[in-house]
Amino acid sequence: MPPEDRPAPHPMGHTPDPADTEASLLARAQAGDVGAFERLSGAYADRVFMLLLRLLGDRSEAEDVTQEVMLRAWQGIARFRGQSSYFTWLYRIAVNEANRALERRSRRPAGVAIGADELQLPAPAALDPSRQAENSELRRALGQALAELPPPLRTALVLRDVEGLSTQEAAEIAGIGQAAFKSRLHQARLRVRAAIGDDALVTAGS
Amino acid sequence: MGMHGWTDDHQWSQQHLSHYVEGDLRPRARRRLDRHALGCVDCGRGIRAMRALVSTAHGLGALAGVHAPETIFDRIRSGGPGGAPSSSRA
Repeated sequence: MPPEDRPAPHPMGHTPDPADTEASLLARAQAGDVGAFERLSGAYADRVFMLLLRLLGDRSEAEDVTQEVMLRAWQGIARFRGQSSYFTWLYRIAVNEANRALERRSRRPAGVAIGADELQLPAPAALDPSRQAENSELRRALGQALAELPPPLRTALVLRDVEGLSTQEAAEIAGIGQAAFKSRLHQARLRVRAAIGDDALVTAGS
Repeated sequence: MGMHGWTDDHQWSQQHLSHYVEGDLRPRARRRLDRHALGCVDCGRGIRAMRALVSTAHGLGALAGVHAPETIFDRIRSGGPGGAPSSSRA
């Protein structure tokens, strides 16, 4: 099924209507239907918010920037021509807005330290308690290491490894070529590996 | 291969573990790293560590109970500056 004919993933609390494909919602949104825009973009809102939480490490700022992303998307949707998927387009706006927020933060006298706790999630409950503790410790260490990466490297690792996007899609969202993206990704992994240490990674990952 | 010393191979391998697990090495380079890692405890562990890193990072991607706030469309609904979509299509 082509993406444009796919029913849009349903946003928070709405029952999906089979007639509401991404293509029809997009067409209505481009014609100025704000409700259609909210259903179209709301389907990706949790992912956008989570991405911003990981890139910014601050819940309040991520909430604020998510609002900004949605406003920018609404303002620009009439110019969206479908060269990429709507999701990719929205994610690219989110990465751009995250970069702008980080730039603003860097100009403030006392920069807000990125919160490592916001960059990791609880371990899956299916693990036994000792493995869960190891896994939780590794996640905490990974969150800390991610927080300490320069933003371009953090963005590459989050998009490719955390989000699981293809290199092509992640590079497009980051706004760089695939070779440059790969270079950032490999640098990011080497730094994170050095920060956590092989023993901790291998023990928790075995 | 034989044209690289052990130290060269080791340093090169340590710098290319991410390329290795990503599948970005050409066959000849992959064989070089494979051959070296067979006899190098550090690089063997490095490969496992890099795989664990990628796997753990991927595990962070779940949306376990994290939801966007319900205020995300407030600026659009409030009709503030620039609240309407541009009608000019590129």
